[in-house]
Amino acid sequence: MKLPVFFKNRMTEFSLSVIFVIGFLALVLTSNGVFLSRASLQGFLTYLAVPIAIGLAQMVVLCIGQMNLAVGTMGGVSCAIMAVLMADHNLPIWLAIFIGLFSATAMGAINGALVVLTQLNGFIITLGTYTILLGFQYRLVKTFTIDKYPSSLPEFGKRNFLGFPYILVIAIITAILLSLFFSRTIIGRRVLATGGNPLAARLSGVSNNRSIFIAHTLSGLLIGVASVITIASLPGINRSIGGDWLLASFAAPIIGGVLMSGGTIAIYGTVIAAGVVRLVDIARAQYSLDPSIVSLSVGVVTLSTVALSEWRRRRTERQNEGIKGLI
Amino acid sequence: MKFKKIFNDQRVVLTLLTIALFIFFGLRNYAFFNVDFVIYPLLRDGATLTVIGLAQLCVLSIGHLNLAVGRMAAVSALVAGASYQYWGLTLVQGAILGVLAGALLGAITGWIIVKSQVNAFIVTLAMDFALLGLVTFIYVTFTGATAAFTTKPAGMDYWRSKSLADFCLGPICGPKALPMMLIPAIFCLILVSFMFSKTRIGRELLSTGSNLRAAKLSGIPVENRVMTAHIFSGTLAGIGGLMLAYTNGSFTAAIGSQVMLPSFLGPVLGGTLLAGGAVAVLGTFIGTMMTLVIRQGLSVQGIGLETLNIALGLVLLLALSVGQIQKMFTSTKLREKK
Repeated sequence: MKLPVFFKNRMTEFSLSVIFVIGFLALVLTSNGVFLSRASLQGFLTYLAVPIAIGLAQMVVLCIGQMNLAVGTMGGVSCAIMAVLMADHNLPIWLAIFIGLFSATAMGAINGALVVLTQLNGFIITLGTYTILLGFQYRLVKTFTIDKYPSSLPEFGKRNFLGFPYILVIAIITAILLSLFFSRTIIGRRVLATGGNPLAARLSGVSNNRSIFIAHTLSGLLIGVASVITIASLPGINRSIGGDWLLASFAAPIIGGVLMSGGTIAIYGTVIAAGVVRLVDIARAQYSLDPSIVSLSVGVVTLSTVALSEWRRRRTERQNEGIKGLI
Repeated sequence: MKFKKIFNDQRVVLTLLTIALFIFFGLRNYAFFNVDFVIYPLLRDGATLTVIGLAQLCVLSIGHLNLAVGRMAAVSALVAGASYQYWGLTLVQGAILGVLAGALLGAITGWIIVKSQVNAFIVTLAMDFALLGLVTFIYVTFTGATAAFTTKPAGMDYWRSKSLADFCLGPICGPKALPMMLIPAIFCLILVSFMFSKTRIGRELLSTGSNLRAAKLSGIPVENRVMTAHIFSGTLAGIGGLMLAYTNGSFTAAIGSQVMLPSFLGPVLGGTLLAGGAVAVLGTFIGTMMTLVIRQGLSVQGIGLETLNIALGLVLLLALSVGQIQKMFTSTKLREKK
């Protein structure tokens, strides 16, 4: 029986869903139901949209076995571009959003082109572009908070559809489109093939360079979506935007079941893992713990997930070798 | 012909370039030649970043990366700072404890990599995240709002602000421009250089880096060498962390948060291969000095932090592309010869 991509890697995603539900109920019980109030539920869902989008942006690059260290500054720069265009140059919102999406995509494309041209690991290239973009972000925003853009954008961020904020709906729709891209389109399948085994992909006629370029560009586009969500959900844009995105962007896909070695995607896993991380964040606020405890626990969980998944992979490999030996 | 050979050496070219840049910035603004405010801090920062660059170089030699160098430095500073504040240890005792903490972290990282067979940069990235939380958490828990250990052991200011001018052999004293911090850096440079060129471990590290399979088949204990490289990296990061803390004057969680990019810039500019198998120990020092001259030179010109970041990122990307272009040229030349 053919299962949809959503349920392919069910174990991780099922257990994450259970953890999510249990964590949610625990929070509701320990807060005596305050967590279920309209305002706090709204806050939980609104700030879930960005982790989902940046998690997906990192996942796209992870699936070709690379990483994007520049997620934070790419998002920061495109947020800054949109805010400056709207506040200082009075551009209409739709045009600013379009330029924001376009510039993030272009930054991703530059990353991809540099990786292909130099044939170096994406990590070191994005470390370079990270630094350059950080400079641009500081230049655009300086030390101010830009908030003099039309208030209809933040108001849109507050509106909701059947209790779900519109921006979360945007993130979910993006996730669904991405899953269709990987499961239904030829380009998507080719990108996954490159990630799974570059040599085999090349021998079957897939251009690995093109896959790498597409993955980085797509990552840029998803970061663009994340920055549109950010600008709609925050009251103003300053230089700290994107500074805390890196860990979140890795945590969601890795906990969600994406292998660092490439070739796998887990879109539902990424979304639900982002939800679990968000619950940890809420719990921290509720029990008034120090923010560092969140990065400590998320870091430890990410590290152990990586170790565990790699151990599992090696075990299967060893078992397969055993079978080969029998034949 | 011999002349041409000298110019083929990347280190010579890099040194000349650094000196040229230094003179260029100095001529644009004479304040750049000031010993107390520019040259002394430049060399002091250069010494610290060289040690951290060497920490990166040790893992680059086997083709790994250490994204947690900065945070290992932070842990070492944390341990040393705590030992001064709570256990009243002397400067040297605390420093030894701090460096040991760095070595231990390196050993743990190496062990995780060997046992799980996970890519080094993933393990060190996750390590970085975990340590970031841990370090901040400890500072906040123990010291509350100040989030710093401020006890200064006797002799710390000596390392921080004295130069070789205070270090005399009879009537002859060293120049005022050379900071005391250069001494540990030179010590590390000699030690690492000696290890890679003269000892068995060094050669085994390099062959592990250039071809893991071949190294394994020739009987090199590859897994032990991976551990070795990470332990050295942690130790050197620890030394670098102490140097950062002594320069800074207090022990905070921010120590080491800015060193990830410089730790790559120095070795890579100096000619260390990212893929492993070739190291440039002296080149690390020269590469580090060059980036610092660019950074300091631009900031003396009154150019802000933002442009500095852009410049440094471009330098890294350029250095990487130059290596790649060189490789392309040699391969086409080889093809022509055939």
